Amino acid sequence: MNDVQASEIQYTPRELLACVASRLINDGESVFVGTGLPLVGALLAQKLQAPDMMAIYECGAVDPEPRVLPWSVACSWTYHKAPIILSMSSVFGHSRAGYSDVGFLGGAQIDMYGNINATVIGDYDHPKVRLTGSGGANDIASLCERVIFMGLHLPEHFPERVDYITTPGFLDGPGARERAGLLGGGPWRVISHLGVMGFDEETCRMKLISYHPGVTPDVIQQFTGFELVVPGDVMETPKPTEEELRVLREEVDPNQLFVF
Amino acid sequence: MSHANDRLFDHQQAREWKLKKSRMKRDKRMPLSDAVAEFVEDGDSLVETGFAYVRGPMAAYWEIGRQKKKDLVGIFTPGGMNSAWHEFGGMEGCHVAYVGVEMRGLISPFRRGVEAGTLKVYSEWSHGGLALGLRAAEQGVNYMACKSMLGTDIMKTNPYIKEAQDPWTGEPVCLVPAVYPDVAILHVHHADKYGNGRIWGPAVNDTAIAAAARKVIVTCERIVDTEDIRANPYQVVVPHYVVDAVCESPLGAWPGEMPGLYYFDRRLQERIVRVDWKTAEGTKAWYEEYILGTKGQFEMLSLAAEEEGIHPLEYVKELENLACDSAFCSLGSWGIGGGRDWKYEEVAKRAI
Repeated sequence: MNDVQASEIQYTPRELLACVASRLINDGESVFVGTGLPLVGALLAQKLQAPDMMAIYECGAVDPEPRVLPWSVACSWTYHKAPIILSMSSVFGHSRAGYSDVGFLGGAQIDMYGNINATVIGDYDHPKVRLTGSGGANDIASLCERVIFMGLHLPEHFPERVDYITTPGFLDGPGARERAGLLGGGPWRVISHLGVMGFDEETCRMKLISYHPGVTPDVIQQFTGFELVVPGDVMETPKPTEEELRVLREEVDPNQLFVF
Repeated sequence: MSHANDRLFDHQQAREWKLKKSRMKRDKRMPLSDAVAEFVEDGDSLVETGFAYVRGPMAAYWEIGRQKKKDLVGIFTPGGMNSAWHEFGGMEGCHVAYVGVEMRGLISPFRRGVEAGTLKVYSEWSHGGLALGLRAAEQGVNYMACKSMLGTDIMKTNPYIKEAQDPWTGEPVCLVPAVYPDVAILHVHHADKYGNGRIWGPAVNDTAIAAAARKVIVTCERIVDTEDIRANPYQVVVPHYVVDAVCESPLGAWPGEMPGLYYFDRRLQERIVRVDWKTAEGTKAWYEEYILGTKGQFEMLSLAAEEEGIHPLEYVKELENLACDSAFCSLGSWGIGGGRDWKYEEVAKRAI
């Protein structure tokens, strides 16, 4: 009877994403947090397995104790009870110095080498869609040790090559980050609404790690604009637990600002 | 008259300009409309301050719209609301680190302008990169060498930054030149009549911008006694000698957030971004109603409140009640009566 109930836990795709993201953060790590779902995932991790996780925001806030889900990466709740508030250049300086373990990002497009586009869709000089530009994303991916990307999984969002590299992944393949002079390990995980991806150590190409419940590797391939590396050990993404969903709904995002 | 971009990296011209500025402690208070009329000139580069819609000088931006300034060059780090002016000839180009409203998406006038080619993008930056350019101006160095932007298309679409070899290690670095905007408007919690301004919350780039910009307007929620500032200078982000004008501007960051004092007007911001500015015609109608049709923050806020069917005083109270309260402790430590000693409701009552 208990098993049946467990399998009937209801959750939305965004709730699953937030839970998957939160599991990637270990206690005691510093996490450079972007806006939206990354923010939710980081706060969830802090309330579950990583109470000593330290959030960093590009407005300069470090290690706050937000009571309310911040509406923006510069919202006052990102520095509620923060012991220090740095300037923008200093907060990235701290990342370059080695104080940022994880960078948490979104974006419009990500390619097979983990490069992210947040600038233009189409030709730069005659864009089909003009996007926001980098913001802190380029700095976060250039300076943090490992980078997690979250986004919607559609072929046009996962092209073989992005239209514009705003934020560096592995650029054009093995050794390119080092040649360019970039720091940090580069892209580490990609969390989409279909599955969790990583990157092949030798080829630097995106590989499947797990597919979400109800999805198959074939479906993920169909929704990806390039050939995914699919190792033999891919598995199903563990579903959100009751505890994860309870904390997410009651403590992290009670007003359902982000997870709907 | 040179183009704003020719002045933007000219450290010698910026120094000559600042050598001529008066250091006299004089009362620089004036109405916001006078300050914008005198110190924001057509063709100027205008750097955004605060964090776009957190502690941004929105009242001044609306006044720029009202006065129909022409051909400004925006420096968006981050930014957004100013990008709408290009649809009325107010902005001809920009330097972009970020324009948008995070989870709420893109700013349509910016998108339309760039896609149609009517708003030029002169250079792309990362937030950290542009922050370093402003910091270089503050620190008095010609450029900074950093590890951002390398290997990406930003390097190809920004004519001002350069890749070079670190002379010690030989590794690639990105060189960012010192940036000297023509004009900056800083919105602060308190300022004295000479222009010393202090804040609660993050300075973001404001200490750097205060030193970098040629002309500086300070707008503040409240004018305070200069002794109050001198007794506790720790939160001061802008010193008097860089300041050209001081304008008391309560609710000056609305519809953005002023840390500790009032929260985002989420309702109005969502409406602007998702509805009012969605089309060029909509933006024009909004501009005529909200900007040209009003004289200042309280008239504009009354209009927004009426459209929602809420009494303006209730509307103000709601924004005030949503403020993140941890700021109160900080404000108290400034010795202004153990906490916030005024209510916007009261200010609004007098103004409306």
